[in-house]
Amino acid sequence: MNLKQALIVAVTLSVVSIVAWEAYWRSQGKIPDLDDDKNLWAVQRAKAEGASTQDVVLLGSSRVLFDIQLNEWEKETGVRPIQLASAGASPLPTFHDIVNNTDFTGTVIVGVTPGLFFSTTFPEASPMSRAQNRVDYYEDRTYAQRLNHWLSLPLQKNLVFVSTSEEGWTDDIDLKSLLNRIDLGNRTGKPEFPPFYAFQYIEEDRNNPMSERTATDTVFANSIKKVWKAIITSNTNPPDKESTTKFFAADAEKFLKRGGNLILLRCPSSGWLKGGEDKFLPRAEFWDYLVKTTNAKAYYYEDYEQFKDLTCPEWSHLSAPDARYFTSELVKIMKADGALSNTKSN
Amino acid sequence: MLFNSLSFVVFLVIVLALYYSKLFNWTNKKRMLLFASYVFYGMWNPPLIILLWISTVVDWITGNKLSTEENQRKRKLWLLLSMFVNLGFLAFFKYRDFLLDNFTTVVNSYGYGYQTQPMDIILPMGISFYTFQTMSYTIDMYLKRTEKAKTFLDFALYVTFFPQLVAGPIVRAGELISQFYEEKRATINQFIWGLFLLTIGLFQKVVLADTLLSDTADSVFGSKSILHGLDAWVGTLAFSGQIFFDFAGYSTCAIGIALMLGIILPDNFRYPYAAIGFSDLWRRWHISLSTWLRDYLYIPLGGSKHGVVRMYSALMITMLLGGLWHGAAWTFVIWGALHGIYLVVERMLKGKIHIKINAFNGILLAFLTYTLVNFTWVFFRAREFSTAMNMITSMLFINGDGEKILQPFEIIKVLALITILFICHWMMRNTSMKAVSEKTSPWVLGIVWAFMFLLIAIAQGSGEQFIYFQF
Repeated sequence: MNLKQALIVAVTLSVVSIVAWEAYWRSQGKIPDLDDDKNLWAVQRAKAEGASTQDVVLLGSSRVLFDIQLNEWEKETGVRPIQLASAGASPLPTFHDIVNNTDFTGTVIVGVTPGLFFSTTFPEASPMSRAQNRVDYYEDRTYAQRLNHWLSLPLQKNLVFVSTSEEGWTDDIDLKSLLNRIDLGNRTGKPEFPPFYAFQYIEEDRNNPMSERTATDTVFANSIKKVWKAIITSNTNPPDKESTTKFFAADAEKFLKRGGNLILLRCPSSGWLKGGEDKFLPRAEFWDYLVKTTNAKAYYYEDYEQFKDLTCPEWSHLSAPDARYFTSELVKIMKADGALSNTKSN
Repeated sequence: MLFNSLSFVVFLVIVLALYYSKLFNWTNKKRMLLFASYVFYGMWNPPLIILLWISTVVDWITGNKLSTEENQRKRKLWLLLSMFVNLGFLAFFKYRDFLLDNFTTVVNSYGYGYQTQPMDIILPMGISFYTFQTMSYTIDMYLKRTEKAKTFLDFALYVTFFPQLVAGPIVRAGELISQFYEEKRATINQFIWGLFLLTIGLFQKVVLADTLLSDTADSVFGSKSILHGLDAWVGTLAFSGQIFFDFAGYSTCAIGIALMLGIILPDNFRYPYAAIGFSDLWRRWHISLSTWLRDYLYIPLGGSKHGVVRMYSALMITMLLGGLWHGAAWTFVIWGALHGIYLVVERMLKGKIHIKINAFNGILLAFLTYTLVNFTWVFFRAREFSTAMNMITSMLFINGDGEKILQPFEIIKVLALITILFICHWMMRNTSMKAVSEKTSPWVLGIVWAFMFLLIAIAQGSGEQFIYFQF
């Protein structure tokens, strides 16, 4: 057997087939994109270690991730925030980590998405474990994992076929995701989860604007709305206001005591989702109670004329232009209040 | 560092470039390989390299003493020192919490309110592998079955050689150290064949184990419900495939990488799911461990030379400890016990029933063996004893009303893949990949190779750790 010949055939066919695979997915409209995974998060988390009192750390769930645009924030303040919000996650574990595992005394902005913030303190529950897994990964990551991430970034930025996601979007194109799309019926008798497509792009420092398609293509936006409906209607667990508030308040007290600047932020939501939040997690009962208990500075979007007309295309997040506007205006409001100066004015 | 990671690709390219450059003489190439091996290990957790160093130094000193010492009592003391250090590390890092838990349970069963705080000590990657490897050197030195390593560098490289450091094959001193004495360069055919083996190993791990099988096994064994029989079987079959592809994949990568350096490592798997009976299985599955257990445990315990009772006892003890080697949990002990029972029963039946194996009854017996092996995998994979029992009752279709959690495509995918796996093992039973490849046209081999590479590239994966790293 001629192994050299086999190698030449293998290399040639591999190059041709990978180029063809890449070209095919580009022809389908895919563009290179980073994965908002635990590695990307951990790199930002590391920045919090040496951050100064002038720095800003953003915590929360996907609303803070989408609605606070880092470029606009930097333009208004000269400081680029450290984006540590995580989609589908409660901010409690991350805030607990920042308070207890760093000496950070700058500004922490905590996004309050009521359904996630007040959900639970049970460590195994998804909102807690999603955040805690990232905190744990940051603590435990090996040098090899850091190097792998660093080496993967140029590939992710330039090649479509390597794009995959920790989230497991329906339109991912890695082999496992492609196979998972094959549907030969349902024998479990359980309702099937609607397809959940990626609806944002993320940059290396986790600046995360919504994709233009989500803002302009109503059918696509509706597919995301179906997902929110499925998640919310399938959740039978009642909110746990007391435990979550108590958990957060303990860390808030510690953080404020050491001179940190804590700001609570309620980002916009719309439509059916907003209706549900108002009904089942009413502001007076949840948000106001949290603000009162923690004694933190607080911003609720509905309190400001500038934000009253903002509409979320898929009920939960702002389009990229609206997010840029929201960020700029929010910073102006906060600056006018003196909320961003790190003084004990809480 | 994992073979299925970008950092390893860069690492391997640098090592190969330095190895084949004219910058170093052979001694410096070995120093470079040793340094690279420490980097390979240290990229995971640098302080734990100290354990490797201690193991290396203790066994080097012991080996030197055993090579010159004639006083039998002193020789035994040196051997005991080595075993105390090596097994001490293993006991402390791997079995401390397990022993403490069981001690607490026993003490508290007498009414004491004894409480312990688990230390949650990190388990050094591959500790069971390199501990057994260094111990084999010292025991062989004690028994005068091997020569003393010529230099400390050769010995340190034997303990730490990165391709097989963390998950084997567990190589004997005689098989590896002597290869370091003279300069090694892979021939062009060895290098290409090594690259081919590395591709196959990665294909087994990334595509077959992680992409096609792991999710099914995880969802079945992670379920808290009593499952439908079909789901339990499919989950177990998926795990049987996953663990084979994961572990055989690692060994194949290791053998391929070593071959690219001109170093030959022994086979660790020979199509085990085509085994006819359990003695045959253990000649085909994790061969380097099963021969280690045979030579350093089963035979010293008496083997087959001291009557039937002693032989069966030796078999059971060997398999129980073999189970415990895999993990500090009772489920692993039960896994070992089941294999011990299978081996004992097989030996009992062999004396009474004589079957001439042909193609027809052979495949049926192989299928029967594989089916029985699957029952043992349940205990190996289940984290809780209760989960294992629920799975077994479902697999025996005792739970008529079990929950269905797998979708039709998942079931078809697993059953198809496992059927292909079983047939391939059966067809390859008496041959080798090398022999088959020599009869294959280079075009066909090239196409298969490219196909595997493409699937690895599009599967990517998230760099899942190899299952056997935890052992």
